[in-house]
Amino acid sequence: MAGANMKAIKRRMKSVESTMQITKAMELVSSSKLRRAKERAERSLPYFHLLYQTMSEVAAEAKGFHSVYTELREEGAALLIIVAGDRGLAGGFNMNVFRRADARIAELEAEGREVILMTVGKKASEHYAKTKHRILGTFDGIGETVTTYTTLDMAEHIITLFEQGHLAIAELFYTDLVSPLTQEACNMQVLPVPYMLEQGGSHSLTNYEPSAEAVFDTLIPKYLAGILYCAIVDTFASEQAARRMAMENATDNAQEMIDDLSLRYNRARQASITQELTEIVSGANAQK
Amino acid sequence: MSSFSLTILTPERSFFEGNVQKLVVRTATGDLGILARHEKYVAALSSGPIRLVLEDGTVRLAAISGGMIKVSPERTAILANAVEWSEEIDVARAKRSQEDALRRKESAKSLAEQQRAEAKLRRALNRLKVSGMKTQ
Repeated sequence: MAGANMKAIKRRMKSVESTMQITKAMELVSSSKLRRAKERAERSLPYFHLLYQTMSEVAAEAKGFHSVYTELREEGAALLIIVAGDRGLAGGFNMNVFRRADARIAELEAEGREVILMTVGKKASEHYAKTKHRILGTFDGIGETVTTYTTLDMAEHIITLFEQGHLAIAELFYTDLVSPLTQEACNMQVLPVPYMLEQGGSHSLTNYEPSAEAVFDTLIPKYLAGILYCAIVDTFASEQAARRMAMENATDNAQEMIDDLSLRYNRARQASITQELTEIVSGANAQK
Repeated sequence: MSSFSLTILTPERSFFEGNVQKLVVRTATGDLGILARHEKYVAALSSGPIRLVLEDGTVRLAAISGGMIKVSPERTAILANAVEWSEEIDVARAKRSQEDALRRKESAKSLAEQQRAEAKLRRALNRLKVSGMKTQ
């Protein structure tokens, strides 16, 4: 009886061990991917910082500045760009951003606005394929290799819709890597461009060619592409960080299970030895 | 000749950082040369060549695919979607991408697709042209 029990425990230990090997390997893969993604995000920062700064200056300095991209609109649908991961096994990573987006969708629909979606990442596409919303585009498997050409395409698509008056607002949902240990689901409004006019008043000596508005408007696709690029890279880094943490926990749990099982295994082994000894001794005693 | 500080940034990396004597860029209205102590200036750039004269007088050429330039007293910055030094351009790859763009333009079903193909074609042609240019 004890022998059968021992065998079962041994088998479970084997299976937990091989699971642990997998989770350990996934943890290592995620940490190296995380490092690379973080580097990529940091390399792009100076570019977008300067782009943003220039746009704020253009908007603030030019007298009577006016652009279709900054004015608020009543009519039109709301576009939600939802950036999530391509794979699961990353704890609550994907769900957190979906929950945030779902709440916003409900809010917008209560206001009577039509909601259009654009999804990045296989998990997001799968999640929103089930809902009845119009999907403008799905971009799967681009997190790791995204380039600005891809995001520029997306941006131009969005801007065309905005120019034609189909859209009133565009919002972006993504996950920000606060630190390797914390990721936060975020959202931001990307269109109409929601900032900038506050500084105002400082008269400009800058020469804009052909005009401040024209420069601003040509920067808009780049700005939007830049935001999308940053969000996708940031989300990819967050996904890796979340997966690394989830896999670290899984490895720890597996180790705990193995410890527990080996304790039980040793107990069962000892019990069977003790029992055998008792049997031998009592057998010998009986023969006296 | 006095020089000024120039940075060329792309989303993927910082492409160039250093002092130059002279810079020639292609804006929507034509080629524009910039020397030290230029007035404050901002313009969009179309894809084309840019020419730098470094402090020691060497001339470098690069192909740029769209972007903007910002001249301020502290520094001059170019933001570009993509930049390549003329000597680093892979001519074979540029030719391939030109052919690919042409094919796509032929088979484009929508206006957007056609425009995208044309933009790609312009980029490829620009790179081919710049790769063949002399630094004089």
